[in-house]
Amino acid sequence: MTDGNKGLRRRDVLKGTGAAGILATAGCVDLGGGGDSGPYQIGMVDSQTGSLSAFGERNQRGRELALSAVNDIGIGGRELSISVQDSQSQQQTGVSAAQQLVNQQEVPFLIGAVGSGVSLAIYQSVVQSTDVVQLSQNSTSPQLTDYPGLLRMSPTGRTQSTALADIITEDGGESVAITWINNDYGSGIKDAFVDAYDGEVVYNSSHDQGQSSYSNVVSQMANTDADSWLFITYQPEFTTMTQEAYSSGVNEQATWYGADSVQGSDVLANTPDGSLEGMKVVVPSAALDQDNYQSFASEFESEYDRSPTAWAAYSYDCVVTAAITIQAADEFTGSALGDVVRDVTRPEGEEVTSFEAASEILSDGGSATDVDYQGVSGPIDFDENGDPVAYLQILSVQDHEYESTGFVTGE
Amino acid sequence: MLASLVATWSGVVAGALAPGIAQGGLDYLPQLLNYLANGLVFSAIIVLGGIGLSLVYSIADFANFAHGDTMTIGAYAGLVTLGAVGTAGPTLFALPLGFYAALLAGIAVAAVVAVATHYLIYEPLDTDSIGLLITSIGVAFVYRALIQIQFGTGYTVYDVPTLRPIPWIEDLTGVTLTEHEVAIVLVASVLVAALHVVLQYTTLGRTMRATADNEALAKVSGIRTERVITSMWVIGAGLAGAGGVFLGLYNQLSPRMGFNLLLVVFAAVILGGIGSVYGAMLGGVVIGMVNRLTPVLTDFGIPIEPAYANAIAFVIMVLVLLVRPTGIAGEGVS
Repeated sequence: MTDGNKGLRRRDVLKGTGAAGILATAGCVDLGGGGDSGPYQIGMVDSQTGSLSAFGERNQRGRELALSAVNDIGIGGRELSISVQDSQSQQQTGVSAAQQLVNQQEVPFLIGAVGSGVSLAIYQSVVQSTDVVQLSQNSTSPQLTDYPGLLRMSPTGRTQSTALADIITEDGGESVAITWINNDYGSGIKDAFVDAYDGEVVYNSSHDQGQSSYSNVVSQMANTDADSWLFITYQPEFTTMTQEAYSSGVNEQATWYGADSVQGSDVLANTPDGSLEGMKVVVPSAALDQDNYQSFASEFESEYDRSPTAWAAYSYDCVVTAAITIQAADEFTGSALGDVVRDVTRPEGEEVTSFEAASEILSDGGSATDVDYQGVSGPIDFDENGDPVAYLQILSVQDHEYESTGFVTGE
Repeated sequence: MLASLVATWSGVVAGALAPGIAQGGLDYLPQLLNYLANGLVFSAIIVLGGIGLSLVYSIADFANFAHGDTMTIGAYAGLVTLGAVGTAGPTLFALPLGFYAALLAGIAVAAVVAVATHYLIYEPLDTDSIGLLITSIGVAFVYRALIQIQFGTGYTVYDVPTLRPIPWIEDLTGVTLTEHEVAIVLVASVLVAALHVVLQYTTLGRTMRATADNEALAKVSGIRTERVITSMWVIGAGLAGAGGVFLGLYNQLSPRMGFNLLLVVFAAVILGGIGSVYGAMLGGVVIGMVNRLTPVLTDFGIPIEPAYANAIAFVIMVLVLLVRPTGIAGEGVS
């Protein structure tokens, strides 16, 4: 055991050295981003690998589009550059990535992370004691609301939990079995759901991330008489559960419901046809009816040959918000950016739907309060807790495809 | 006979653990059998991983942290082979012949990669066991990075349909096992039995055991220990490759699949007695079963959730080590 422990610590050291090595060899990273010339350097911690890598890919596409939109115009003649580090969807790695960005590269603005647990861990151990602005691109755990200094672009899962509770009740579900992933995201969504749901919760148990099998969880759920099963977990974990439920012949025993993070094309591709029939999932949605979303979507489609997800839209808006904030702030420091980051998204100013429009107002002498950035993901409007306004879509699986069955807005 | 044994055993469990189950007694039996069946399948995969880890420890004398990723390599080699061979033709246990080709490819590629790593990295390094341990962590990262470069960071599945449970077993016992799971357990048993024969009844086995006991003494007795070490990598990594393919069949493939399982495999090997192949097999079964049987605790009203399955497996490992510091089958420390 002692050996094992030593091994793990050494491994972390190696990880750190490895990451540093990659950076050093990449050679193109400008470590002095805070100077008076050269690009403005901000940081991003993303899930390039691990359970949430699907989100990392979506984020990357959104980030690239946003970066080119911003750099076509420039921020007062300078470019924006983002140093991206992988969190491996794990808290420990995420924290080391953030430490590298904040302490060594000294970025004043940090976009990160995807997983709520990772975002919180970064906030508590790296960002909280500094004046760096942290903006999570994809975290939806209700717990983030308790940390006003930690902003996020994706809406809180509390609205998602309320929506799920309403849908299950509407569908006539009287008893529900819940399995949730044992982290801040899972427990946050689960707690909010249990608060909101009036029926009986007959099974309420957690499971661990990244396990090779969840047959014990599935088997336990099947042993209850719940008429509804609720999955609050990540895509690979949910895929395993679906396969195991199908292999045990219990997938039709109850109606399935899922939180946002169990939805994805990989899930459909890797589960048997018909195994998810009728399942309903609530996902945060972009403002699909807005013009700027539609132009974002068509640009996205021509670039990547696929439709964007809300997650790419959040990442896009994170980058654009960061760029507008940098231009609106007096100087490129954490405290100056922190003073204006909320103002540029709030309704006091003139509504703008692109970086270009915001940039014009600011170049004409406008201040942060004169701008109200309307993101491609929605109106944003960061509140005092750092949460945006929520906009949710209900998806239902029909013939092994997701069909939209309506929208819900949350507070 | 078997049914009555299980019934007696479950009676003991019920009596010992909680009175609450008494009313649900017989109704609970199929559920318990299901956990045991799941445990058996999971154990089979852990055993395949554990043997190699134990062999490397006893013969090459270091804890190989790249072993989990060797399993991943086997799984992905199988994926490529299955893609090339296709799934047409006759099937055995509802698995196309192409899958068995994939299994062989997984074994072969994992073995080749491990042997190459040994000759290119471990041997020229000529360092002590701590040095090798740390090197193997680096090797694990390289393996995983190569797989991520080639196959992406997402997850995928083998092109064989997910099956429904075998009806007659389900009707008879309430246990839901698929033909794939039966195949995993059977093939793993065959491989383990073959290893037993090799270790006990062949010259290679005798020289391997001799090298594991005392490499210097084996060398002066005329055993070509270098050749033994190569065979050890072939056997250990080959079994890991098979374990990887089965892990992929069991649910899905992802670049972290082997690494995620590694700690559990380590627990199995240490529990069994580090360096003992038979201990690794036994440890694998115990850890696999404990891992899958965790829900029994909540079923009996003990508030420890399945999320803590690995923690419980490790607690049991520590308890066994407190009583028997050398592990279940480990030899005494002189």
